[in-house]
Amino acid sequence: MSGTISIARTDQETTISIKGRFNFEMHSQFRAAYQEETVDKSRSRRFIIDLTGTEYIDSSALGMLLLLREEAGTNDADIEIANARPEIRKILETANFQRLFKIT
Amino acid sequence: MKILIVDDDRINSTILHRLLSREGHQVFSAEDGLAGVEMFDSERPELVLMDIRMPRMNGYEAAREIKRISSDRFVPIIFLTAVTDEEGLVQCIESGGDDFLTKPFNRTLLQAKIEAMERIRRLHTELHSQKEELERHQERVQQELDISQHLFSNIVRAGNLFDAPCLRHISRPMSQFNGDLLVASYNPAGGLHIMLGDFTGHGLSAAVGAMPLSELFYGMTAQGYSIGDIADEMNAKLLSIMPTRMFCAACLLEVDMRQQSLMVWNGGLPDILLVDGQGRMQQRIASYHLPLGIRPFNPDDRKVSIFELRPDTRIFLYSDGLTEATRHDNLMYGSERLERHFDGNRQPEHLFDDIISDLDSFRAGAQQSDDITLLEINCARANEEPVSDSLAHARKKFIPPTNWSLSFFFSPQLLQTVDPLPAIINSVMNLQAPAGHRERIYTTLAELFSNALDHGLLGLDTKTKQTPEGFMRYYSQREERLAALEHGFIRLELTHIPQYDEKQQKTGGEMHIRVEDGGPGFDHQHVHSTLDGNMGHGGRGIALVRSLCTKLAYNEAGNCADVVYRWTI
Repeated sequence: MSGTISIARTDQETTISIKGRFNFEMHSQFRAAYQEETVDKSRSRRFIIDLTGTEYIDSSALGMLLLLREEAGTNDADIEIANARPEIRKILETANFQRLFKIT
Repeated sequence: MKILIVDDDRINSTILHRLLSREGHQVFSAEDGLAGVEMFDSERPELVLMDIRMPRMNGYEAAREIKRISSDRFVPIIFLTAVTDEEGLVQCIESGGDDFLTKPFNRTLLQAKIEAMERIRRLHTELHSQKEELERHQERVQQELDISQHLFSNIVRAGNLFDAPCLRHISRPMSQFNGDLLVASYNPAGGLHIMLGDFTGHGLSAAVGAMPLSELFYGMTAQGYSIGDIADEMNAKLLSIMPTRMFCAACLLEVDMRQQSLMVWNGGLPDILLVDGQGRMQQRIASYHLPLGIRPFNPDDRKVSIFELRPDTRIFLYSDGLTEATRHDNLMYGSERLERHFDGNRQPEHLFDDIISDLDSFRAGAQQSDDITLLEINCARANEEPVSDSLAHARKKFIPPTNWSLSFFFSPQLLQTVDPLPAIINSVMNLQAPAGHRERIYTTLAELFSNALDHGLLGLDTKTKQTPEGFMRYYSQREERLAALEHGFIRLELTHIPQYDEKQQKTGGEMHIRVEDGGPGFDHQHVHSTLDGNMGHGGRGIALVRSLCTKLAYNEAGNCADVVYRWTI
């Protein structure tokens, strides 16, 4: 059982929304969602990971976020994790991901 | 194709025989069910044409018997029937028939059915051989997994102290390999190091990362490195070997009952819970760092928090597999339900078992979806010796006592960057490794060294540590003053002299240790000089050294200590 991903793009931004369970089964879907945009390293792009509909997140999902961060330029990456419900926010904060991502 | 005809009607049988032989098939005939089963056994045909009504054994029974003895392969049975009623046909299928052919035979239909059956048979054969191939493969993989698991447990558990009386733990891996790493070992000064690590994912890939970490843990702990140093090394190691999307949420603890202190480095694990003698939650220690293996450490990432322990404190430590364990309706166990146990209304000694049985009744047999680990450290028993002794010393080769000396000089800049003690103790132990003395020599050097640094150079007052607030203040003051330290030095001189008996046989050796600091000196006469008088926080250093050594003397100014440590073969 895993979640679904939907993507919305503008000129500067890519919003990836995850509904349901964000776990290891989402790996290839999630990667496909951003891969095109991270190929061209010269253009900086903003990513918003919208967790409004996310019910659950596991450590593999945290790993996927790290991978996105790396492919989007590590410290130069502009990634926002938005609308996480309190339990998920707690998981992100336990891993201290607020030091790597903007969590809003 | 080998075809068996089972029919008691000779005319029918002969027509079929001729027809099929002409098509190039190899044909056998049996005159009733019993003869048919026997011939099936001896000739191993690939297709059976079966009449229904026959003497001795009818077609249904024969079909059942044939299917039973050929259960490992697919041999189609086509019933030859005059029956057209539905019940008769149903019985054909129930007894194992794959198709039927109504008499009188239509030649084209017969050929078509035989061809169709042949296609199915070939598919079956192919499927069967693929299944066998898969089974062989699975067996091979399982064997390799078993061997790997053996290696894994030997590496990870080497020198593990889980028979230490103060520790209770439960580890429930989700698969053959545990992605939760739990290791414990004593450092040379008698402090207990414990690490719980939780790798991304589960199973083999997670377990592979556990191996280098456990080696670093045991090796560095034995050499006297601090948990901050160990976390730093582990982080560097994981960065070099693991892919970006893998990391290790980890917590390292040092329990030192002599100092009544708990040091914690927590990167990504759930809150560590301190529980008092009444079973009440006293404090929670939240994750302060990023997990290991995400990015290179900066100085702040090494930061370790210090907490005061009481003799009856219990420490609970767990992986998120515990609180995220789900039951059938997907509801999680949760930290609230866990922490309800620490309301002070339960016997502290039963807490561990209560939590486990509560978890089990909550899950009610639901499938496990992550590795689960829970550990309890009972400080009251932290000083009890483990049942089995570490083998580390036994393997060291014996070096006969000889003459040698070492001299170290440390500037403030060095003291700010590294803890030089592990390097010192390693040099000493490599030159002269008196079996069983490592801990005592380490403790002696460590106490003299920290006196020289804390009191001599940094001017800290042990009395500060008498209260819990002071305890915290002491360590934050120490950090600030060390960072600001510009002048002074610590000099350490160590001379080893062999000892002889009256027959000039070597009996052991004496280490003459001098530790001198560049500070103004301190009032050693009044810094807690007896062991008994100092059961409180810290400050037992000098008394302890006095109990381990044959001689301890300070100079007038109090900034130079002379110690003699004696050992015998």
